[in-house]
Amino acid sequence: MPTWVGPVVSYSAQGLVSTLSMSAITVGAAIVVGILFGALLTLPIGIVRWPVRVYVEVWRGLPLLITLFFVFFTLPAINIRLSPFLAAVIGLSLWASANVAEIVRGAVQSIPAGQFQAAHALGFNWPQTMAYVILPQSVRRMLPPLVSLLANLIQSSALAAVVGAFELLQSARRSIERLTVETGNSEAIPILAAVMLVYFVICFPLAQASRRLERSLAV
Amino acid sequence: MIAYQFQPGFILDQFPELLGGLKLTLIASAIGIAGALVVGVLAAACRSERVPLLDRLMAGYVEFFRNTPLLVQIFFLYFALPEVGIKLDAFTVAWLALVLWGGAYQAENFRAGFEAVSRGYREAARALGLSQAQMFAAVVLPIGLRIALPSLTNIGISILKNSSYMVAIGYHELTDTAVNIVSLSFRVFEMFFTIGVIYLGLAWLFGVGMGALERRLALPGSR
Repeated sequence: MPTWVGPVVSYSAQGLVSTLSMSAITVGAAIVVGILFGALLTLPIGIVRWPVRVYVEVWRGLPLLITLFFVFFTLPAINIRLSPFLAAVIGLSLWASANVAEIVRGAVQSIPAGQFQAAHALGFNWPQTMAYVILPQSVRRMLPPLVSLLANLIQSSALAAVVGAFELLQSARRSIERLTVETGNSEAIPILAAVMLVYFVICFPLAQASRRLERSLAV
Repeated sequence: MIAYQFQPGFILDQFPELLGGLKLTLIASAIGIAGALVVGVLAAACRSERVPLLDRLMAGYVEFFRNTPLLVQIFFLYFALPEVGIKLDAFTVAWLALVLWGGAYQAENFRAGFEAVSRGYREAARALGLSQAQMFAAVVLPIGLRIALPSLTNIGISILKNSSYMVAIGYHELTDTAVNIVSLSFRVFEMFFTIGVIYLGLAWLFGVGMGALERRLALPGSR
């Protein structure tokens, strides 16, 4: 094996860890915000629903890269300093939470009205109805799109490289630059091919799992 | 309190430059959307009609491009291919990447549409003596296309939005133009507000247009 491989692999492994932790933090934030907002979207009260609808439409509708740039450039403009990593996590979370909210809304609205009425008859208030009756039942409908969103998130986190955050693609790019300077050979083909393979190995099983879940959880 | 003055006049000053970027965004997206439809139909036809060998090949293409990030595909086309003597300029990479990436997604959409065409129609076409190619062209494609239309629209919008990825290779489309203006002027809010409105507006327009097309092409009996 050529001598350049070892250092590139260990450097990119750090990049991969960063990609995965970036995705993991985003998943946590997106699930919490997304479930809350998704449930709020099913309320018949316009004053509550409207601001959430705007949030969802904006962060789902904007190109994710614009959101990342926006967070990256805006917060320093109002004197909030944060690392590119954190900027990327915030941008990804805005985008992912809006998507989770839509998934949750769709799943909740697919639950038959009788379930709401039964909970109401039992004296449950709205948060109780959601927490104990509706959300547990909607999980099976949410799971396939959520798993496929996770694959999408891991792929989309590569955009963090554009705002200078350190993750898998960024580590590969820096390796290519370093090799070009030091040896004159960029080795861009094997390095980028390997990066694609890593993403594929993570995302393909997730996509398959989403498809399988869709079939096995079909109601 | 935060001292940031929003200057609407700045947007007007920069508008001609933004329009230049918008033009390039529209060109790359239009080629990307049209090309992805062509690639998608061909790949899906190979798969749903079980063309030997090609169906496997297309399945591989679809899975590979759907499960690797578009940005890495762009990097590969722009930074890796020159190593083997294939030098593509930023514009070529912009539309080619969108065609390849979008084509994989549209192939899945078309395939779902083709496979939703009821078996009875296929059997009827067979009974009428249509060859497989005739059946595909006269029955499966026109019906499957209509079934697939809403999801084709969604990916069309994604292609438009993802043309912004071309910032990474310095193709001077709308996002790249805005980012350049921001890094010279620090007018962050003005620029991102403007291009945000432009992207949301374009996606909305595209959706409305496709919605009208959907209603026009609606299958008799479906609503």
